[in-house]
Amino acid sequence: MERLILPDIKDLHKLDVYEAHGGYSALRKALGMKPEEVTDEVKKSNLRGRGGACFPTGLKWTFMPKQTNKPKYLCVNGDESEPGTFKDRQIFEFNPHLLIEGTIIACYAMGITTAYLYIRGEYGKWIRMMQKAVDDAYAKGYIGKNILGTEFSTELVIHKGAGAYICGEESALMNSIEGERGYPRVKPPFPAQYGLWGCPTTINNVETISNVPIIINRGWEWYSKIGAPKHPGPILVGVSGHVNKPGVYEMPTGVPLLEIIYKYAGGVPGNKAIKAVIPGGSSTPILRGDQLEGVCMDADSMKAAGSAVGTAGLIVMDEDTDLIQVIARISKFYHHESCGQCTPCREGTGWLHKILDRFVAGEGTKEDIDLLMEIANNIEGNTICALGDAAAWPVQSMIRRFRDEFERRVARRTAPVVEAVSA
Amino acid sequence: MARMTIDGKEYDVDPKLTIIQAAAENGIEIPHFCWHPSLSVAGNCRMCLVEVEKMPKLAIACATQVADGMIVKTESERAIKARQAVMEFLLINHPLDCPICDEAGECKLQDYSYKYSIGYSRFEEDKVHKPKRVELGPHVMLDVERCIMCSRCIRFSDEIAKQPVLTFTQRGDHVVLTTFPGTKLDNPYSMNVIELCPVGALTSTDFRFKSRVWEMSSTESVCPGCARGCNMQIWVRNNQILRQTPRLNEEVNSYWMCDAGRLNTYKPVNSPQRLKAPMVRKDGALVEVGWDEAIAKAASELKSFKKNELAALASAYATNEDNYVFLRFVREVLGTKNLDFVRHVVEGDEDELLIRADKTPNSTGLKLLGVGPMEGGRDLTGIIQGIKEGVIRALYILEDDVASVPEIAAVLPNLQLLVVHSSIQNKTTEYADVVLSASTYAERHGTFTNFLGRVQRIRPAVATLEHDRALDGFAMSRWDKFASHNDRWGRPMKRDARPTWRILTALAGALGTKFRYNTSEEVFKEITERVPAFKGLSYAKLGSGGVTIQLREQAAVPAS
Repeated sequence: MERLILPDIKDLHKLDVYEAHGGYSALRKALGMKPEEVTDEVKKSNLRGRGGACFPTGLKWTFMPKQTNKPKYLCVNGDESEPGTFKDRQIFEFNPHLLIEGTIIACYAMGITTAYLYIRGEYGKWIRMMQKAVDDAYAKGYIGKNILGTEFSTELVIHKGAGAYICGEESALMNSIEGERGYPRVKPPFPAQYGLWGCPTTINNVETISNVPIIINRGWEWYSKIGAPKHPGPILVGVSGHVNKPGVYEMPTGVPLLEIIYKYAGGVPGNKAIKAVIPGGSSTPILRGDQLEGVCMDADSMKAAGSAVGTAGLIVMDEDTDLIQVIARISKFYHHESCGQCTPCREGTGWLHKILDRFVAGEGTKEDIDLLMEIANNIEGNTICALGDAAAWPVQSMIRRFRDEFERRVARRTAPVVEAVSA
Repeated sequence: MARMTIDGKEYDVDPKLTIIQAAAENGIEIPHFCWHPSLSVAGNCRMCLVEVEKMPKLAIACATQVADGMIVKTESERAIKARQAVMEFLLINHPLDCPICDEAGECKLQDYSYKYSIGYSRFEEDKVHKPKRVELGPHVMLDVERCIMCSRCIRFSDEIAKQPVLTFTQRGDHVVLTTFPGTKLDNPYSMNVIELCPVGALTSTDFRFKSRVWEMSSTESVCPGCARGCNMQIWVRNNQILRQTPRLNEEVNSYWMCDAGRLNTYKPVNSPQRLKAPMVRKDGALVEVGWDEAIAKAASELKSFKKNELAALASAYATNEDNYVFLRFVREVLGTKNLDFVRHVVEGDEDELLIRADKTPNSTGLKLLGVGPMEGGRDLTGIIQGIKEGVIRALYILEDDVASVPEIAAVLPNLQLLVVHSSIQNKTTEYADVVLSASTYAERHGTFTNFLGRVQRIRPAVATLEHDRALDGFAMSRWDKFASHNDRWGRPMKRDARPTWRILTALAGALGTKFRYNTSEEVFKEITERVPAFKGLSYAKLGSGGVTIQLREQAAVPAS
């Protein structure tokens, strides 16, 4: 398939190269359309968010009030902190102008005059690269006053995160931009009504926005035929773990996981069997290696398999992997990253982590397995934001699908050591 | 109106309300920690999770607006399970040091543990450790381990006290409540965070470790610290005030009270400088005597002056009842027209929330009663001038340390007779010839009228010699009820002090005029009959929150 988001073009990050390959033509085209027509195009394309929730992008844009005396904002979410996820980084590095172009088109569609691009603070190099691209785009009149000689003006500001995973949650992200503590907000009110600085706001993922110029250029009909019909388009899949060729691969949605692992990522080193796969970043429920047949990288197929596309960060674990260590490490991450605002997540993530650390040390008990499950169930759905769910799902799915691993750990501790005694 | 169902019962409620508000209005408490009626909604404790039909997830009652046809279940299996889960989560890292925690007995976490938790812990890991004794400011101490991160104190400081110095740092179960670098929790309302705190994380440096809460009685009263008259509870153990806390009254002080009102008003009640009995001057020194002797001495001395040689100063620190009886006493017994009272206004020491520049609780009451110079009589300036000139030779002062005003202190030595009602030794009593030991605001019944015309009752919380806690209907603590004669706390120290209206009644009798008052309520009844502004009121009507009366430009003069 033709690569649309990360095409194989040398120095595409440079503005002149990008322009030479048709860059900013989508912006020109969009500015010639009515804003509603642009939104409509995105809506009909069936583009769904690439940040994890797969929410229809065009529909989200229509939530923005048309008549308001407040300024409206777009936040482009490049916080990318989910373990196993490193796709947006490729866009920052290899195709920054596609992201900028998409951002300006989105602003035009929603009547937004300021966009924030939020990039995680650890991405120092990529923030600098992105800033260079933004500066170049300003210099060429793609951002700023009277874009391309039209009446439309919009600003694009890069905001650097300060190292908290939670700031990738859309409402915590807005608080972070406002200079507040990175706490998710209670919803409702939703961002489209009361977002950044209390004004109507849309938050879209970097990869999502990068799809917009493609849709405008080629039309929704063409775009919607790529990949899985209900979840179409190109998707960046980050493959890591026990594969021969880890990396970010662009592909149509709906590619079978086994094809991703064996065709794109070159298979498992030493031809070992796959024990488990985390399909969409560390929060998505883990899948057993023996249940991967027929499971594809799109929302419906993944849901049917009992997991989620998430951020399409595929983590492959071979037969020798200690899944107890894996889940303990994942739980440590969510314990460390829970913002601490609401009770179940603040207290529960630490509890899960502490119990799982005991399992790693061989000190877990059979009762602990059920306790882990109950703690996870008590967190899930009861929190302000989805971090609680993100901490609960891996634990729940790990116990559901790999209970034997836990039981073996318990057995290792409790099995009596019998030594042969010579008569 | 929206018609909603809560636990099977239908209610018509204002659709602008949240579920928790609608429930509260109908007398149903949905358990909560972080929600507070006067603060913004935080939604962080998750204790108020309830099941709402047609909603896929449980909803927090504090942030979910009601709607017509909404069906809320607070007692469904899912809601109960969620509450139990929240309680379990809150308790895993909580110190469980209730036996040494000041909050025990009035702790939301403790109460809810009995009501809503499963009763045991499944947590076997190490608890998180955090700073234990953090001085947030001059009056508030923080134990971070006890904190449940409800953020009430932060929201209070931001939204009500307007001093946004509190914040959380760190993340997850390592979250720490703290002040921003270089700041302190030091504002006139800082201590309100202590009651707002649903656990024992924020405690009063003044009160901590002094008493278990159930060992104290709590009495509904009114703060005498300024003209606002914040409603408060006086907490007493062993006949000593240990703390004062605000009491809800939306007409006066909402849930709040200033730090000065809490601390500075009660200290003089417990003070070692308190008068233990009446005193008269003998051979140049004040000597403690019995009431009969003191009253006889005051009567005989007062008789030796002509009416126009006498002057009287009422007190805006004293109750309506005291001042009313004083007004009659001055008119009918002393017969002088020279009457006024000292205003204690500290210009600039006021704000938009509660604090008033007028530092007396009853100056409005005095105006309504008509306390002031009678026709042809001298006002305060005139009285001072008269004393200076030697025209005024005897002065009668109610509960007010008037010598704290330099111009008055300067002329007091000129007097030949100074009779003073006071509860404490102060500059004025130093000049006095007869000191009649008056009970304090915490030892008597009575009413104050605040600056808005709200007439509010004070009630005795500390017993004087004339009181018996049980017989006189005092609030009783567990100790008061169950102490035996052998217990130290069964025999608390009582002072020989009387309310001013009672002292005046006795003195009037000694001077040949009978006032027939046995209780302060009887005095109040007479006020309501004779002073138009108070017409129709009674102690029963005032209840615990008081009644606002019409303030008139012209003060009424009682017909005697």
